[in-house]
Amino acid sequence: MIEIDGVIKRYGANTVLDGVDLRIAPGEVVSILGASGSGKSTLIRCINGLERTDGGTIVVDGNRIDDPKGLQRARRCCGTVFQSFNLYPHLTALQNITLAPTEVLKTPRRQADDEARVLLAAVGLEERAGAYPAQLSGGQRQRVGICRALAMKPRYLLLDEVTSALDPEMTADVLAILARLAADGTTMLFVTHEIDFARQISSRIVFLDQGRLLADLPTGEFFAPDGGLAQPRIAQFLSKMKK
Amino acid sequence: MTFDPLSLAPYLGDFLAGARLSALACALALAGALALGIVVALMRTAASPLARRCAGAYVDVFRNVPFIVQLFFLFYGLPEIGLELDAFGTGVLALALAGGAFTSDVIRSGILALDPGVLEAAQVSGLPRLAIYRRIVLPIALRTTIRPLGSVFVNLILTSSILSAITINELTGSAKIVASDTFQPFEVYALLLLLYVAMTWLVSLAAGALHRRLNRHVAGDVA
Amino acid sequence: MHDTGFTHHDLVLLLQGLGVSVGLFTATTIIGLALGTGWALLRYYRAPLLAPAVAFLAELLKNSPVLVQLFLVFFGLPVLLETDLTPVEAALITLSGNTAAFVYVIAVSAIESVGREQLETARVFGLGRWQTLRRVVAPQAAAFGVGPLTGLLVNQLQVTSLISVIGVVDLTKAGAILNVRTLAPFVVWTAVGLLYYLVARLIAWSCSRLETRLRAHSQWKGL
Repeated sequence: MIEIDGVIKRYGANTVLDGVDLRIAPGEVVSILGASGSGKSTLIRCINGLERTDGGTIVVDGNRIDDPKGLQRARRCCGTVFQSFNLYPHLTALQNITLAPTEVLKTPRRQADDEARVLLAAVGLEERAGAYPAQLSGGQRQRVGICRALAMKPRYLLLDEVTSALDPEMTADVLAILARLAADGTTMLFVTHEIDFARQISSRIVFLDQGRLLADLPTGEFFAPDGGLAQPRIAQFLSKMKK
Repeated sequence: MTFDPLSLAPYLGDFLAGARLSALACALALAGALALGIVVALMRTAASPLARRCAGAYVDVFRNVPFIVQLFFLFYGLPEIGLELDAFGTGVLALALAGGAFTSDVIRSGILALDPGVLEAAQVSGLPRLAIYRRIVLPIALRTTIRPLGSVFVNLILTSSILSAITINELTGSAKIVASDTFQPFEVYALLLLLYVAMTWLVSLAAGALHRRLNRHVAGDVA
Repeated sequence: MHDTGFTHHDLVLLLQGLGVSVGLFTATTIIGLALGTGWALLRYYRAPLLAPAVAFLAELLKNSPVLVQLFLVFFGLPVLLETDLTPVEAALITLSGNTAAFVYVIAVSAIESVGREQLETARVFGLGRWQTLRRVVAPQAAAFGVGPLTGLLVNQLQVTSLISVIGVVDLTKAGAILNVRTLAPFVVWTAVGLLYYLVARLIAWSCSRLETRLRAHSQWKGL
């Protein structure tokens, strides 16, 4: 369980997260929606410890992330996929995936390689195991990024606008993989602009506006006229996204 | 006005012996300078202000004091505190200490130029700090800084000529002896000049080639 | 027995040496700046034969040790030209040439940093090559070049220490004299190092003040 309680985050005079409460249980697929600057990415970056909170607590499977040892343990439970991929440029696709398992979990090299190849095959990249990031397309890099996150067998997958840097064709490929992961029961928390996709695969939708949680509802209720859509900010946002 | 370079032919052996000693001193000093440079660069980019200040002071001193003064300080000073190091050892030590300051500059730039996203990916995967430095930060920083490191090595080779001032018979020291033997200082020192130019040119070429080889898979835009 | 007592005469000796070092540094910097900029202008005007010749000379001077250049001029030239050269004269010639080579590189890159569109604009308005140089290129190039020039000047100050090897009684030579007499290497060489350090900082500080003024002007011109 990821427990987020009263989290506050400020950048100078700007309050980006203003007392956010959230619970993510294993098996859930939760989408965080909201306008740019609403604090969505910041929330994810607080969970995996890339940002320090100015108030409140975050506990992942019983590990407090404001404690250094707790943070390390929490990070092992969470896999992160980034908007700009962030692959290690000097390592091949395979090495990108096996780095953490061999260094952190002390998995033997042969086993780590085999497991990595299975992951690559699942996303259709088994031929490109020896390729370097510079030789891969954006969509391929993101797929490697997903494999890299999954290699640590995380309990929770954090995805931060993972298709925003991709063109429509590659986006569709990556979304298909994410849909499959969701169907397989992977716990996912993702920040996205793809409203239709979120609606399709999420069990729950969370809406952030100016650092505050405006809604935290099961998907069906969120998109219902008497549920999420009853809130003017949400209706306004959704109609803008529909263009 | 007489100019007779060919009369130096019998002294080629002396030049070679000197060149070998120069090469040895420079190679050892470079190894030391790299090791020192990495440590100091890591200190300068560390979170601890004390580490940053100590490392900063070291670089500051070695960049603003002439090498020959550093050399004399060590050569005459070390025996006073009981450290009996021969001239060659002292020379290599001085070169390594000075070289370390310059390599730390270069490596620090390489570390700072690292894509922060790549660092974040390493951090959130639970990698301990040492592993992040060993497998991510240093391999990438060293790859991108091969050319500037080549320049530092060139500088090291040129600076090594100053070792002749403490009676080490490296290339310049050997040349001085040949010059006094042959009474043809112009030819000797002109040849010496050209030899150094050739050496530094080779090093630059090698650095360029090494850079291309190490970076053949790494493009600039991996995000 | 040795005389370890330090007297005020020793300080006077050090300061005299400092004066010689700073004096030679200043003179060779001025000559080197003029010469190096002149060489860069030869390249700007694409002077046939002269431009590639100075480029080649600059490469030789940049890629060989200053100590060897000093030996070549002090020991070699007199024999070749059958004339006499005092250590100070040799130092002046060598250091000016060496500084000029590095100034040349900085000036060339500073001139090239001024965008092509500036030159085209000037030409369209009817400005001749010399006028373009004076009013458009030079101010911007100067602002651009002060940064690298600072590093060069600090380095050339260190380089002056080598003239002690050919007998000029500069700060380093004064240190060597004191070292032999007092046999107190730590005190002597630390004092010498400190003096060089302070002058280097002074140079860096003056240059950064100059850079601020130059850049302020060029920012204003951006209107």
